[in-house]
Amino acid sequence: MTNAVLDRVEQMDCQTAMRQLWDYLDTELTEARALAMRAHLVTCGPCYGHYDFARHFLDALEAQLQAQVAPRILHARVLGALRAEGFQPQFGEV
Amino acid sequence: MLPVDPATIPDPAPASRPGDSSFEQTALPWLDAVYRFARSLARNEADADDLVQETFLRALRAWHTFHADGDCRRWLFAICHNAHLGGIRQAGRRPAAVDGDIDSLPAVLLHHLAVKDGTDELLARLDLRPALSRALATLSEPFRAVVLLVDGEGHTYTSAAEVLGVPVGTVRSRLFRARRLLQESLFACARDAGLTTEPPLSDSR
Repeated sequence: MTNAVLDRVEQMDCQTAMRQLWDYLDTELTEARALAMRAHLVTCGPCYGHYDFARHFLDALEAQLQAQVAPRILHARVLGALRAEGFQPQFGEV
Repeated sequence: MLPVDPATIPDPAPASRPGDSSFEQTALPWLDAVYRFARSLARNEADADDLVQETFLRALRAWHTFHADGDCRRWLFAICHNAHLGGIRQAGRRPAAVDGDIDSLPAVLLHHLAVKDGTDELLARLDLRPALSRALATLSEPFRAVVLLVDGEGHTYTSAAEVLGVPVGTVRSRLFRARRLLQESLFACARDAGLTTEPPLSDSR
């Protein structure tokens, strides 16, 4: 981010930035707030450290949660229950 | 008239219903995602399996009400959550009241302390997967559900609120508290591993 761009964005103090950290990582901030947050993070080492930790934490959490898949036996059981209701799969495997 | 043994009457060939094919192609691929959500809601694996089956049975019966351009995963999650709530009511259990965090500051302060005492650096050397798995297991259902929806499945706060039938602010505060609790567990795990007995480098200078 160039100095010219930084001059135009809203100034944000550390406490305000860190109150909005989760909202920022979840892309739930308005464009203007997100821009101010980015500007703060590139100029504030301690806040960037908290941001970096939070980002890695969320990445690890997502990977952990996504790794869980239903056992094959459950796929078969659900398909069996649906067939008993009259469901006719065209392609076979769930 | 000759007596007819009912057992000898063949079942009429079931006619393929309109919509079966679209249900198969649109709803069934979300089975793994519904399973993950059910695991976050149910108390054990057997209950989660029952919940997944009940979700797809309800979804099949209501398939004609699903809009083709709608978000099928979110629709299935909402059915799953409703089925879960129905089970809770039948069992006479009441969902636990929960308090959330108003913003991310408590989590940041927690990390700040971990940086100061060296736990943060030690956590970086820890295999996060088993630690996270244990930490997730300690969360109560309202927290697990929102973490699964937003952090696991990438729902927005609004979308998660629609699935759970709660205000967006409730999703947000539960999510923030859940993440802080998970981080607390991770830091505790690093400490339990006996890794924080050495004084942090910054204090030894």
